[in-house]
Amino acid sequence: MLIDIQDLYKIYNEGQESEVRALDGVSLQIDRGEFVAIVGASGSGKSTMMNVLGCLDVPTRGRYDLNGTDVTSLKDKELAHIRNREIGFIFQGYNLLQDLDALDNVILPLIYRGTSIFEREELAMAALARVGMDGRAHHRPGQMSGGQQQRVAIARAIATHPPIIMADEPTGALDSKTGRHVLSILQQLYREGTTILLITHDDGIAATAPRVVRLSDGKIISDAHQEVDWL
Amino acid sequence: MNLMQAFKMAFKSIASKKMRSFLTMLGIIIGVASVVIMVSVVQGMNKRNMEYLEAQGENKIQVYAFQYYGSSGNVSDLLYEYCLGMQDLVIGVTPQIEVWQDITIKYGAKTFSTQNYDDWTKRLSIQLGSDQFGVCNNYTLGGGRELSFLDVEKTNKVCVLGGGAKKILFDFVDPVGETIFINSQPFLVVGWYEPTGLEGMSSMDNVVLLPYTFNRTLNNNQNIEQYVVKARSATDTTLAIARLKAFLGGFITNGENGYYDVSSNNNWADQVQEQSLMQSLVLGAIAGISLLVGGIGIMNIMLVTVTERTREIGIRKAIGAERKSIIVQFLIEAAVICGIGGLIGILLGCMGALIAGKFLLQGMILWPSSTIAVGAFAFSVALGVLFGMYPAIKASSLQPVEALRAE
Repeated sequence: MLIDIQDLYKIYNEGQESEVRALDGVSLQIDRGEFVAIVGASGSGKSTMMNVLGCLDVPTRGRYDLNGTDVTSLKDKELAHIRNREIGFIFQGYNLLQDLDALDNVILPLIYRGTSIFEREELAMAALARVGMDGRAHHRPGQMSGGQQQRVAIARAIATHPPIIMADEPTGALDSKTGRHVLSILQQLYREGTTILLITHDDGIAATAPRVVRLSDGKIISDAHQEVDWL
Repeated sequence: MNLMQAFKMAFKSIASKKMRSFLTMLGIIIGVASVVIMVSVVQGMNKRNMEYLEAQGENKIQVYAFQYYGSSGNVSDLLYEYCLGMQDLVIGVTPQIEVWQDITIKYGAKTFSTQNYDDWTKRLSIQLGSDQFGVCNNYTLGGGRELSFLDVEKTNKVCVLGGGAKKILFDFVDPVGETIFINSQPFLVVGWYEPTGLEGMSSMDNVVLLPYTFNRTLNNNQNIEQYVVKARSATDTTLAIARLKAFLGGFITNGENGYYDVSSNNNWADQVQEQSLMQSLVLGAIAGISLLVGGIGIMNIMLVTVTERTREIGIRKAIGAERKSIIVQFLIEAAVICGIGGLIGILLGCMGALIAGKFLLQGMILWPSSTIAVGAFAFSVALGVLFGMYPAIKASSLQPVEALRAE
């Protein structure tokens, strides 16, 4: 089991009038090599889910085992290692560093990983080539379209070859054609064995995932496998 | 993440926000420059004073004695004899009188005045002394001869030139045997002294020495009130001072029928150094406060930077930056800003010290010591690290998701 969460809670302002239960006792198991869409309306807790699964946030209560390790007991340094080596993030707003060009953005996780200076550029260029952005290596985010920025962000996520990719509304800011292109890149990664977690509010996109987990008010209301046309 | 990479990142970040980085540096630049200038000026003044004392030589006793008009007995001639009688303790004795009257000194077409206070480098002074004037004042004869006992006895119209006076009047020509005119009277130059080599201190070199017996005609004074006694050693100096005080005390009660003073310059050096240390401490403290203010400015800017770049910190953490990396990044940025500021400050300080030397210390060339330069640089970098610490720790302790939420 790659991801195993048991009875997970994320509660803001607990015990107060304004208490919000973003995750309300969620249990979920995801195997290595799955493609899972986590779907829900705005405020359903799906982003919180990804933040907790991605070790960007800590749960209030509950158990989270990643690769057999209890993540809730880990220290900042070990969490940083997991974010660097185990998980690649793709955000709705791309989250590229504006002052760095595409190549430097992709190199960044390799720097934090401690990859030698001689390999870094090669690995980063390879990642850019995978998303078809090797021709724009020295453009800054401000000089690229949204779709291009998202492809650079994907290159950054896959530069360290993490076993898991977590994408939070990756197509949310893109037009449908570019969105499809981004999705096809994720599908290709899935075919190569990467575990994909896709967070979306769009049922159309959810329909392309072999497994769909539906969230509402911080609870899982359905968890189903389905046939998809691209497999 | 290695240090090299961290430095590269810091430079990139500083370069992308030039104006703000410069304003941040300004506090450090001004602080370091003022430290460098202040310390250089104090050191320069100290060096000058020490050189002056050294050029005058050690074991030099200044004797000053005068009696009110109408007092009985004339101590000045007796004093001279008494001094000459202390052969066991002294090397030389000379009256030393500067003529304060306006006197013109002419050679060829050149005319100089003893009252030219507009340009000290061109002002000549007339000193009256004996055949032992050179020995007592630590002069080295460059050519010709000293005044002789006979010159003094007979009030011969001869003179010895100081190194500066020789240069002003004769340039590189050998002055021995030439005649100069002092108040239109011809004086034969019989010798000249080597320059004392004191930069910007012309008063010891721009002298024309005449036999002290000209006191009556040039100075309208028949009493000699000031003597210089050169003792053989520091111990002899102390002994001689004691004897002279006892001798003069027999004639003069200070303030009643006259005034006398006997002192040596042997402990001046210590006083000068002590004084200079005090000055350094006071000025250093003032400059240190300005550096501290600069440091607080750095902290302020770094805090603003942290707030501004919260999202960047979030992104870096999301892709695997450890707390340590974030801290190091911010610390290095602060240290680099302060370091560059420090270097610019040292540069400006050197320039400032040169300018200060030119205008405050008569053209003395002040080079800040390398200790000061290195110290100021190290201090400014340390300030950067110190004041960068709080913002850096603050930046690194954010949860990635909180940081990412920031706009």
